[in-house]
Amino acid sequence: MTELAESLLRGLGTGSVYALLALGFVIIYKATRVISFAQPAFMLAGAVLVTYLAGPVGFWVAVPVAAVLTAGLALGVERVAVRPMVGRPAFVVAIITLGVDVAVRVVVNGFIGLDVRHVGDPWGLRTVAVPGTAIDLQQRHLAALLATAVLIAGLFAFFRYTRMGLAMRAAAYDQEAALAQGVSVGAVFALSWGLAGGLAAVAGTFAAAGASVDAALWLIALTALPVIILGGLDSLPGAVVGGLAVGTIQELTASYQQHAPWLGGNVSVISPYVLMLLVLLVRPYGLFGTREVERV
Amino acid sequence: MGRNRPSGSGPRRIAAATVALLLCAALAACRGGDTETDASGVKTDVGVTAEPCPEAVDRNKGCIYLGIISDLTEGPFRALAVPITDAQKAFWKRVNTAGGIGDYEVDVTRWIRDNKYNPQTHNQAYQEMKPNVLALAQTLGSPTTAAILADMKASSVVAAPAAWTSAYAFEDVIVESGANYCLESMNALDYAREAHGVKSVLAVHLAGDYGDDAAAGAKLGAQSLGMTFSAVKTDSGADKQAGAIQAILSGRPDLVILTMGPADAAAIVGQAAARGFTGRFIGTSPTWNPALLASAAAPALLARYEQTAPWDSWGTDTPGHQALRQALGQITPNDGYTSGWVWSYPMKAALTKAVADGDLTRAGLLAAVKSLTSVDYEGMLPAGAGNYAAGPNDGAVRVTAVYRPDRAAPTGVSQVRPLTAGPTAQAYALDGPCYEKL
Repeated sequence: MTELAESLLRGLGTGSVYALLALGFVIIYKATRVISFAQPAFMLAGAVLVTYLAGPVGFWVAVPVAAVLTAGLALGVERVAVRPMVGRPAFVVAIITLGVDVAVRVVVNGFIGLDVRHVGDPWGLRTVAVPGTAIDLQQRHLAALLATAVLIAGLFAFFRYTRMGLAMRAAAYDQEAALAQGVSVGAVFALSWGLAGGLAAVAGTFAAAGASVDAALWLIALTALPVIILGGLDSLPGAVVGGLAVGTIQELTASYQQHAPWLGGNVSVISPYVLMLLVLLVRPYGLFGTREVERV
Repeated sequence: MGRNRPSGSGPRRIAAATVALLLCAALAACRGGDTETDASGVKTDVGVTAEPCPEAVDRNKGCIYLGIISDLTEGPFRALAVPITDAQKAFWKRVNTAGGIGDYEVDVTRWIRDNKYNPQTHNQAYQEMKPNVLALAQTLGSPTTAAILADMKASSVVAAPAAWTSAYAFEDVIVESGANYCLESMNALDYAREAHGVKSVLAVHLAGDYGDDAAAGAKLGAQSLGMTFSAVKTDSGADKQAGAIQAILSGRPDLVILTMGPADAAAIVGQAAARGFTGRFIGTSPTWNPALLASAAAPALLARYEQTAPWDSWGTDTPGHQALRQALGQITPNDGYTSGWVWSYPMKAALTKAVADGDLTRAGLLAAVKSLTSVDYEGMLPAGAGNYAAGPNDGAVRVTAVYRPDRAAPTGVSQVRPLTAGPTAQAYALDGPCYEKL
């Protein structure tokens, strides 16, 4: 029972990182109808920035600064590479984002260099006991969960209570109608990319907490694809629920795969993608997605 | 009018002649050049020129071109591979400054390529440089080298590896140095039984003949020592170790033998310890990087991790180590440098022998390798190491050193046990690549 509870808690910690990444994908998709494949590069760039900043200014300052800088990078990419393609097929823009991903990662890899780089998080691999139980929870998972909760609350408040949030919702609903009402769709596009970049930076930092940043970190961002398929490509709550669900399933698979040794040694790595296939077969628009996405 | 030939035959003949000429040129290029004999009577064919090397010390000498295929940018062993390559450049510069090899100097800078630890990329790099190099000063990685081995054997291309799989003992074209992963794991078990009283072993390893070879050595050693043994394969990537960690936690072995990259090893040691594992870890030498002492796994590494190594680390006081430090000057110490330096000695010995034999062709170099009964490692390996003429079993080097993390040491590790051949490795008859017995 303790093992099950610990696995679930680890899964929620890992899943919150996936949720942050998936939120970035969904925000861009809702605003622009494009899946941005540049998210993995922004995640890596943000984490690498934190490794450089954590020494001079400390982890707590490094994370928001890196998130803002990565948001700026994403804004720049949107302005230079994506905005000129407005009106072109979404497929073309998606391919451009793939190119952006590769280009940004090549540059960032140069900054990773040869050493094993660390984000300098204050938690390391320390654990905390859940009161009244024998359950140990790693502090980094707790921190990831809390940070995700705060960011999600902030995001939902932003969309619900601010004029820009309202504009983003309007543009997501109907771009032409929003334009007719004076909403700057260009600003909505830019802000969506900026938000996604910032979220990716925070996700990258928590993905590397307790471990290290290397060139392969970006692969974690690919797990966001099963997450948004599960939650629904155009649903923010779906991204959160999907992220937590995928993280939990992945961790439970890792914990109990020993009972099915015929599956091989690392089946947890592919479990999100198996789940994605199953969801696509049964409910292709995801748990919370709108049905029209099915036709895309 | 009297010449009576079809219109256009002239251009066709010219075209045919051009094609024939091109074919001849292509065939000559593919053959890699004919055998020539230089002024001093030494036969040469591919990768040896009468013209001096691009960065020649003595411009009156010819040039021997050696290729390097390494993991230089984004592969899992780049932190080790770049220092290995830099050390090899320094090694051959020292050789050239000391007079070269006979009437030749050696160039290892013209043909350097990145394999990204990918066998296909490795093979492409090899095919590109093959018509231009006599031999390979470095071919990094076991699975990558396996991708070119058949061609190397067919073309008599000798290579110094940057890997330690036991399969190399059975390949004439490979001039390996030090104990292979298989014998290293046996020595690790002998040490762990004596030092920590371990009775059960779990090998966590990458797939392929790097990880499999070490795991096989642990299995053979465990059988010999009456320990229980199990193994689990894992993938490269710090985020892909959850299965391996769970296998450790559920199996609770006394000892875990690790064969993988440093970030993977740190993830396993750190997270297993954080979840309550109290056993020991021993990693083969590629699992270590001094930067791990700044990681979240550092406390666990300092408490539970040790490292085996086929030769002594950077700060050791032998003539070879001194020459290495002197050649490289002020750099951040890393045992990748030590390895690159050590791996270069047998190639130097083989080239010297080939020149002495008057045959610096590929076939001549291979014959020289087969006739080497010892290599002067300047004290970095015991006397008698480098006996390629003795065959796989008798020629195998069987000594291993044990190190533990130490923040005060130059490369982050200090010695626990000097180079020693344990009873298990000494008694083992190397009759085939170990990984076939996993």
